[in-house]
Amino acid sequence: MAVEAIGRVPRSPGPLGRLGARILDVLQVLGEAASLFMAAARATAFAPIDRQRVIVQLARVGTDTLPIGALLSVFVGMVLVVQAADQLRDVNESVLGPIVGLAMTKELGPVMMAFLLAGRTGSAMAAELGSMTVYDEINALRTMDIDPVRFLVMPRFVAATLSLPLLILYSDFIGVWGGALVVALDPAIKLTVNEYFARMLEWVHLSDIIIGLVKGVVFGMIASIVPCTFGLRTRGGTEGIATATTAAVVWSFILILVFDFMIVRGSFATA
Amino acid sequence: MGAGSRETPRRGVAVELQGVRRSYNGFEVLRGVDLTVKAGELLAIVGQSGTGKSVLLRQIIGLERPDAGRIAVGGLELPRYLAMPPDEKPFRIAMVFQNAALLGSLTVAENVSLRLREQQRLPAAEIEEITRRVLDDVELEGTEDKLPSDLSGGMRKRVAIARALAIEPEVILYDEPTADLDPILTLQIAELIKRIRASRGSTQMIVTHNLPLARAIADEIAVLDRGRIVECSTPAELVQSSQPLTREFLRAAALGT
Repeated sequence: MAVEAIGRVPRSPGPLGRLGARILDVLQVLGEAASLFMAAARATAFAPIDRQRVIVQLARVGTDTLPIGALLSVFVGMVLVVQAADQLRDVNESVLGPIVGLAMTKELGPVMMAFLLAGRTGSAMAAELGSMTVYDEINALRTMDIDPVRFLVMPRFVAATLSLPLLILYSDFIGVWGGALVVALDPAIKLTVNEYFARMLEWVHLSDIIIGLVKGVVFGMIASIVPCTFGLRTRGGTEGIATATTAAVVWSFILILVFDFMIVRGSFATA
Repeated sequence: MGAGSRETPRRGVAVELQGVRRSYNGFEVLRGVDLTVKAGELLAIVGQSGTGKSVLLRQIIGLERPDAGRIAVGGLELPRYLAMPPDEKPFRIAMVFQNAALLGSLTVAENVSLRLREQQRLPAAEIEEITRRVLDDVELEGTEDKLPSDLSGGMRKRVAIARALAIEPEVILYDEPTADLDPILTLQIAELIKRIRASRGSTQMIVTHNLPLARAIADEIAVLDRGRIVECSTPAELVQSSQPLTREFLRAAALGT
């Protein structure tokens, strides 16, 4: 295409110029992501009509994340117990249940599953939409009066936002059972599995689970909108697709952590 | 060499461009394009790579907005046409992209019927019938269930043309329809475009750097040079041209390059 033949006029900005350009780039990405979020949120009105496309994306999220999510969760639960038990052996092992329960429901489950979703499904979204952008498929949709946001972004947005809270519950469940496995099998731990769960249930409240689910909704939005934003702004062929995919994952991770902090801060402020 | 237009059904609508300008990063690609395509006419736009041929088509289909100038299709200002709800548009414009731009996850039939299915105005059986008919028109019957990745480059181009035909457009824009195709496939696409002209009478604009193709199928040929139309004439008149770029094109075509 002719546009590709037009080279930018080579310039060599100084450090301040480069910093300014970088800040402008960041603001532009955030603006595009916010704008896409609004458009996708509006397009969710069509989700019942387009349910087939939403179901396809839900199935894709499940296939991408369930097996590896289980593996991650069980090992994180096990490692938590091993490490905490070592520290608490001479103090009080009965807090192992609350430690694993609270860590999994409030922090590790949500962040771990969000990273998994952004890393696996999100990167695939960025690469797929990036390829469609580069090879004019998105433009072809536009020329057919088909809204790419409704057709492509909304099903991914709905699927990620609905599925991440469920994935978090799945991760919490497997994580605490991973911990229980170590409690049951490690002869150095004197705590029984019944005591582990009893103490956990004393300490983990419904509000803790709800905070995890709220994070799931927010992180699900981030893990879909950010990759779609980068996919739709891809330029420059195969190399551009690779760059967009990497950037989508990095930006998703950063924004998940930023929003994680904000939600935690907000939950303590209101408590 | 141009295809005759007397007995062609006049389905197409006119396309007018006046003083169309478009810049990218301070570089002016289109520098005041004036062009008129009559209803039902087949116009080829030829020019060297990077002269703004594809950019011009993107302004006409509304993928990009010109910085200055006006574009009217069927007597309607383009911004007004683009702002209309799809169901209320008085005519349709379709574009065949250079790389076909088929959706890789959809089958041939799903690609061809995509717009009709999304509009949800026709019953499924009728959409199926239209899909079958346009695939027959491009001689791709039996490929309905194949994926684009299973097709050759020429077949993908023909599916893209079938996708355009499925909505019965009054204007069809082709961006380098024979790029990367061998001479036999180029001939097949050229014959197909001529057949569309004869059977449907849509206005067609073809961007190409293949001058022999343009001479074989077009009513008029416009030569685009550095963002301006420097010549617009019939294929017969073009051969007599004294315009330097046109002469260069003719010389290159004679050498078979």
